[in-house]
Amino acid sequence: MNTIKLALLFLLGFAFIPVSQAQIKHIEMRVEGMT
Amino acid sequence: MKQHLGRQSGVQKVDVSLIDGKVDVTPREDGRIDPVQLLKAVYDSGVSVAEMDVTARGKIVKDASSNFALQISPNQSFAIAPNDLLKTVEPLAGLPAVVTIRGELYHKPAGKKKAAAPEALKLLILEVQKKE
Repeated sequence: MNTIKLALLFLLGFAFIPVSQAQIKHIEMRVEGMT
Repeated sequence: MKQHLGRQSGVQKVDVSLIDGKVDVTPREDGRIDPVQLLKAVYDSGVSVAEMDVTARGKIVKDASSNFALQISPNQSFAIAPNDLLKTVEPLAGLPAVVTIRGELYHKPAGKKKAAAPEALKLLILEVQKKE
């Protein structure tokens, strides 16, 4: 039973890695015509 | 414009500086933000974008035509424009290594008063901040 839980935890961990690793962190724009 | 941008998917915070015409967009940690949609939202609010810079973390990938791209997620990537800095990350293509890159995604064409929002963006690397 514990082995199954550990295996599930391991698989879930892998599922979340790409989300935490890759992302757009910041966007900066220079705009014209703003009042 | 600030409210218009704040309503876009994946946006956490928008800071607008009227003095120097700068707009800072902070994406949500778990959200998927689309720079093309942001550009369109700015144009829709009647303002023209001169330049858009992005800091992003992702993997370097190479497509069948040997073009390099920064892959943010399985369904979001930006084609990378060739320059000297691209050469420093080219060897990472196809590897699980993650890089943090600051680059220019959009620059208004010279001579045009108001250019239309582009459909696709190309990333010109300005700085490779981190290789992991």
